Parts: sequence; C-alpha cells; structure tokens
Amino acid sequence: MSILKKIDLDARELEHPKPLEEAIKVLRSLEDENYFYMLHRKNPIPLIDLANEQGFCTLSKEDAAGTWHILIAKNTDIALEDLLRV
Amino acid sequence: MFNQNGLSLDQAPPISVVFRFFFSGALFGIFSGMLIMIFGTSIFDAHTTQAVILTHTLTLGVMLSFMFAALFQMLPVIAGVTLTSPVQKANFLQYPFTLGIITLLFAFYTSFPWLYGAASLLLGGSIFYIIAIMLKNLFELGHHSASSKGMVIAILALSIVVILALYMTATFSGTINGVYFSQMKEGHYSFGLFGWISLLIISISFQVIEMFYVTPPYPKAVSSYLPPLLFGLLVGTFILSLFLPFTWFATDIVLALLLSMYALLTLIRLTQKKRPLSDATVWFWRSGLTFLIVSMLLMVITLFTQNSTLQTAGYLFFAFFALSIIFAMFYKIVPFLTWFHLNSQGYFTAPMMHEVIHPKTASKHLYIHLTTFVIFLLSMFIAPLIYLAGLLTMLSFGWMAYQVIHAWELYQHTQKRGEKFEMGNINS
Repeated sequence: MSILKKIDLDARELEHPKPLEEAIKVLRSLEDENYFYMLHRKNPIPLIDLANEQGFCTLSKEDAAGTWHILIAKNTDIALEDLLRV
Repeated sequence: MFNQNGLSLDQAPPISVVFRFFFSGALFGIFSGMLIMIFGTSIFDAHTTQAVILTHTLTLGVMLSFMFAALFQMLPVIAGVTLTSPVQKANFLQYPFTLGIITLLFAFYTSFPWLYGAASLLLGGSIFYIIAIMLKNLFELGHHSASSKGMVIAILALSIVVILALYMTATFSGTINGVYFSQMKEGHYSFGLFGWISLLIISISFQVIEMFYVTPPYPKAVSSYLPPLLFGLLVGTFILSLFLPFTWFATDIVLALLLSMYALLTLIRLTQKKRPLSDATVWFWRSGLTFLIVSMLLMVITLFTQNSTLQTAGYLFFAFFALSIIFAMFYKIVPFLTWFHLNSQGYFTAPMMHEVIHPKTASKHLYIHLTTFVIFLLSMFIAPLIYLAGLLTMLSFGWMAYQVIHAWELYQHTQKRGEKFEMGNINS
C-alpha cells in the first residue's frame, strides 16, 4: 500500500455544529490513499453513524486527557488501529 | 446532536415533528401581536380578562409549543430517549392541544362553563398524554445526566401546573366550589414560571451552553442540585401555603436569589467561551439571562412595595427572558436539523447551515426582539406605543414563521431535486 496521507482536524475549540459540518466536508473529499484524523472534546456519534452508513470505516477512542480521537477512512483495507495516536 | 452520546441517525426525530410545533408556536405568536393591538394597555393589569387571555396565548400557544418542539428534539439528544412513532404522537398531541388553547381563550372571553370543561378535556388530555409518554421513557433510563434529571423535574412541574389549572377550570365551570382557589392559582403560576419554564431552560442549558459555545461546564453542585432544590422549594411552599398564608413571600425571595445566581453564572460562562466572536444566539442568551435577573429583582422589590408598574415590568422582563432563550434555541435547532437530516439521507447538494438560516437573519431578529421589548416598556408610560409593540410582536413571530417555511421548502426542494452521494460517487 502506498503512503497514506492524513487529513487533520482539531475540532476541540470549534463550536457545535461546526465540527460535524467540517468533518462532512472532509468525508466528501476522502480518497483511497488518505484518511481523516479528528480531535474532538466529545465522541461525535452523528458523524460516526453517518460515515458508517456511507460505508466508511471508523474508529474513535478517548485518551487519558479526555480528548476523543476519531479516525475515518474510505478505504476499508486501512487498519485504523495502527494509525491511532493515543 | 450535542452530547457525549450524540444523536444517532435512528434516533433523530422526523424534521416535520419539530417544525410543526415551531410553526404553530410562531402562529400563536402572531396571534399574540393581534391581541395586543386589540386589547391595548389593558394587558398590563394582570387581573383583567385581556391579560389572562394574552398570558395563556403566550405561555400555552407560544412557549409550550416551542418547548414541545425542543423536547421532541432534545429528549433523544440529551437523555437518549427515543420516542417511537413520533409523527403519530405529535398528531395526538398537537391537534387537541391547539384546539384546547383556542377553546380556553374563548372560555376566558365568554365565561361559558361548558367551554372550560371542553378546554380542560382537550388540554388536560393532550398534555398528560405526552407527559406520561415522556416520563415513562425517562424513568426507564439506566443512566441520567444532570440535564435529563432536570428535564424529568421540569416535566413533573408541568404536570402540577396542569393539575392546578384543572382545579381552576373546574371551579370556573361550576363543577367544584373552589375553596382553595387562591392557593391553587398562586401554585399554578409559581410552578409554571419557576418550575416548568425556568427549570426546563436551566436543565437544557447545563448541556447546551457548554456544547454550543465551548465553555467550561457548570459546577457539579449547580447542575446536580439546583433543579431538585427549586422543585423541592415549590412543592414544600405549595403544601404549606394550603395551611399558612404568606408562605410564598419567603420562597419568592429564595427563588429570586437562586435564579439570579444561575443567570449570573451562565453569563460568566458565556464570557469564558473559546470563540471570541458572538453570534445572535449568544446575544439572545445574554439578553434573556439579563432579563431574568432584572425580573427577579423587580419581583423581590414588589414583595415589599405594592407598585403595579414595577410588577408589570417584572412580568415583561420574565416573558422576554423565556422568549429570548426560546429564540436562541430556535436559531440553533432549525438550521442544524435541516442540514443534518439531508446529510444523513446522503444528499450531496444539502444546503449548508448558514444557507438554511443565515446568521445575519438571526441578528436581524435579535434587533426586532430587543426593539419590541423597549417599545413594550415605553408603552407602560406612553400608551399609544402599545400598538407599535403589537405590530413588532407580529413581525417578530412572522419572521420566525417565515424561517420555518423557508427551511421546510429548502428541505423538500433538496429531497426532490438533490443529488445523493454513495460510496461510489461521494467524490463526484
């Protein structure tokens, strides 16, 4: 597999619903060679639901500081666990 | 939509369920403006039939309609409660509820006993129907947040408001002799203003202030204990007032202190938000909380001095407190729901939130709202201005009704003509 490009979004200080709006913009532009890495103060269930419904693979995990790490890829072969930085 | 658990696509209430209550609330608001123009300054005397009619048009027709919309929307969000068959439930609630309000207003106007009976059946039946469903779902929850607990208490307060109202309408209709009428009346508006309206706003704010505006959370002591404390005070005072007169005097002072402290704390939280710029919804919150503080101050002053002007001003400030918060929530909920539903249905061409309701549109409404308030205050001294206040009230709610229609049309237009994205064409 070629080198994966990470698309970052730090949404921790964005007011609701800006994180969701920005994230959906990114989802629409995702390719097989890139993945989305989002930091959020909450676990964004609507985003994860929406991504899963569209066939993306998703992963979300909370770190010790209470920040949620959300990873989304269009390419379902990408092992998101390996890309998690928690 | 907003919380840790979020709003899953399966839980989201149909957009029509929320919009229909916003729309009927706005229509009752326009009707309120008409009533103000017809009744003139007689609405400033709380003992007149005109004031009673306007108060119930605002509290039942406007505020309760908007709050039902917010509850249908927020119960899945804040409490994780999913109401099954929401469209059917909204129908069972809205038609008798709307008819009940109109019947009650006619009952006040004509004093026909049978109209009070009909209004009691329609309003009592419809409100208790939805209260029972909401409480049953809330009581079945395994885990409660401060907000969901507060919502339970606010809904319980609403049920007490309705029970006391039924006692009063039964007295008006001659069904009972109404020995405790004055105590029930005092309890009715105390539970309505402090138990239902204030508690619901407070409970929802515990969740949305932090989420919407990225502020530090409320202190746990406040979010955990303020709603039960307020409710406990109301219940205790109401029971005592059946035997001891003047019990509400001390309680009103404590309630005023608690609500003012909550409003101050929320205003401070809003100064701690991460984003330096404030949109119209923040200013609606700020205005509303300031109105609440002034209203409480006036309430305490009028406990000691029988000044009818200050008393009327206190009611005005309180009404504008509730309406300001309702408007703040409206401008957050309507664009989000329209955008969210269309995105969850996979529409690539879904309008962005600012295209559903532009922030400048909300700002214009803020100016209309604040101008309406100032004109109302002035009309207490310059009577003819009441007609301008009535016109502005119609404009304010007409503005809202238009936003609901516009959002609904955008939603339907996208559903009919929008392009859907799937995995295969998401990049197209």
